[in-house]
Amino acid sequence: MYRLALRMLTRDTGKYLALVVGLTFATLLITQQGSIFLGLIKRSTGVLQNVGQPDLWVCDPRVQTVLEIRNMSDRDFERVRTVPGVAWAEPFFSSRATVELTDGSYKTAQLIGVDRSTLVGQPPEVLVGSLDDLRAPDAIMVDESSRSKLAYPEIGDTLKLNDRRAVVVGICRAKLGFDSNAMIYTTFDNARRFTPLGREKIPFILVKTQEGADVPTVASSIRERTGLGAWTRDEMEWLSTRFILTQTGIGINFGTTVLLGFIVGLAVTAAIFYQFTIENLKHFAVLKAMGTRNGVLVRMVMLQAITVGAIGFGIGSGLAGLFSLQGRRPGAELAPYLPWQLLLMCMAGMLVCIVVGSILSIRKVVRLEPAVVFK
Amino acid sequence: MSANNGGALHLRGVKKTYGVGENAVRALRGIDLDVPSSQLVMLVGPSGCGKTTLVSILSGVLDADEGSVEVFGVDWRALRSAEATKRRSELMGFVFQSFNLIPTLNVVENTSVPLLVRGLGERAAQRRAAELLIEVGLGDRLKSMPGELSGGQQQRVAIARALVGKPRLLVCDEPTAALDGRTGQRIMELIQSAARGKDEAGRDRVVVVVTHDNRIFHYADRIIEMEDGRLKPTLSQHVLEESHHVPTFDPADTITQK
Ligand SMILES: Nc1ncnc2c1ncn2[C@@H]1O[C@H](COP(=O)(O)OP(=O)(O)OP(=O)(O)O)[C@@H](O)[C@H]1O
Ligand SMILES: [Mg+2]
Repeated sequence: MYRLALRMLTRDTGKYLALVVGLTFATLLITQQGSIFLGLIKRSTGVLQNVGQPDLWVCDPRVQTVLEIRNMSDRDFERVRTVPGVAWAEPFFSSRATVELTDGSYKTAQLIGVDRSTLVGQPPEVLVGSLDDLRAPDAIMVDESSRSKLAYPEIGDTLKLNDRRAVVVGICRAKLGFDSNAMIYTTFDNARRFTPLGREKIPFILVKTQEGADVPTVASSIRERTGLGAWTRDEMEWLSTRFILTQTGIGINFGTTVLLGFIVGLAVTAAIFYQFTIENLKHFAVLKAMGTRNGVLVRMVMLQAITVGAIGFGIGSGLAGLFSLQGRRPGAELAPYLPWQLLLMCMAGMLVCIVVGSILSIRKVVRLEPAVVFK
Repeated sequence: MSANNGGALHLRGVKKTYGVGENAVRALRGIDLDVPSSQLVMLVGPSGCGKTTLVSILSGVLDADEGSVEVFGVDWRALRSAEATKRRSELMGFVFQSFNLIPTLNVVENTSVPLLVRGLGERAAQRRAAELLIEVGLGDRLKSMPGELSGGQQQRVAIARALVGKPRLLVCDEPTAALDGRTGQRIMELIQSAARGKDEAGRDRVVVVVTHDNRIFHYADRIIEMEDGRLKPTLSQHVLEESHHVPTFDPADTITQK
């Protein structure tokens, strides 16, 4: 009987295709919207992703996101260095800067400044040139994927950064930040020179704890002794994410879109399958009149539901996977992020909807008066 | 078994009303009927008189409101729904006016359904189905889809499907209504020979045919005429003539032999 159920499903080519395509699009809609949303949020912490070495990020206690700059003083910096449990602390610069291109047009860039001697916070990967060259005055490194935004500067080219001369000494690779601005690396000192308001000011302090020290304990000592904020990278990431979600329109707007996509996708799923079973109701009545038990009919419907569900989900998530792969290209404007948790959530959602859709229709099958076969 | 007198079908005081209140339709107003084995019984009467309702109740797919319904000793009204479903798969064969084949299954698959319902393996079921299809003259269409067949061929598939499980009671509701005259005759010949056949255990069977079609009246062993939810004590003149005087139903002496 179950083989018959599958044949009833797959041989009805038109409806079968409609089902599979419908479910595929539902899956695609859900995973694609979801992955763009997640990608966007992940990107909001791009600056954080590039820095792996330190254990703690220290900043003004009012800072709510890594995108926000509230400067600390050199005195703050000295105090952090002397907190027990701190192995080293280095200043870290991150701010927007304006780049004037050779053709006279302006671009906004994210300027990162790392400590001149230790280079803590350095770009994750250097493609052309040497980090040592960064120590020269006016030297900068440009992220590879950002070059297109800056008219493809080569090594030795000169850009104007906040009206000051900057010389490209290397090409690196780094994750872009939330607004996808070009990423430019330089030393902390250079960065302060490039950014007049940044003189004598420090946006972030990167802290490594001593071997064996308890990171949360050190963080709370820093907070107590200096009155500054001290966060692990994960905490900072969460802080930034929460900021995006709650303090900007993105959370509400995009969240609503995603939620709607989810609901629409799932409702469509349930509706399509319900429709399919209803159209087959007469055949189920014939089977019932011939003595097919309700339990068997229910399993037949379930089998059909799970089969189309699995195929639709498979194709849909495959397409979403391809889509997110293409977003991995360096410099891609869209950065979908498709973790397995999202796929799992989508699968669970689809499953629930297919089951709901088929339970609605199964109820009809179970209640079906076999006498309708004579109609 | 109660007062069954060895009759195959045994109905007493069967009533059925659809709906409630003002919309209530009294489809059956008290049916008493006994039918012995090995007969082809025709149920005739004007549209809406309750023929379909009566055969639905006979087949155990519809519950009567009142009265007793016994089919070969099975009291449908005493069975729970799940049990009735199982009994139907053993006892019943159906042929419908609109054939009711499953359009996405081919001829041999459709025909094998009743055996699959009973739990027979697909191979064995299809083998038996194919044998029967050859008997009804469709040996060359085993793999065809129902949509590729003419009405008469589809009805022959339906008959093969109804008979494949060797049921004891075959119920046909308007089996020739969708067919032209000649095709209808051929279908009736098949149904008639089914009535002469035996069930799985070699016992006589009963065939009940509901029809409007006076061109097939002469295939009946017995004709029962209904009117407004009741059985008529004597056949109308036109039925008598068209049936070439097949014996009538007499409620006083329930069985009248040919
Ligand atoms: N499911 C139902 N709900 C309500 N009324 C019904 C239902 N089925 C049948 N009826 C009514 O019951 C009466 C008997 O119907 P039934 O189908 O048994 O008649 P019939 O003799 O088979 O008619 P026909 O020759 O047109 O098929 C009719 O008045 C019909 O309208
Ligand atoms: Mg009818």
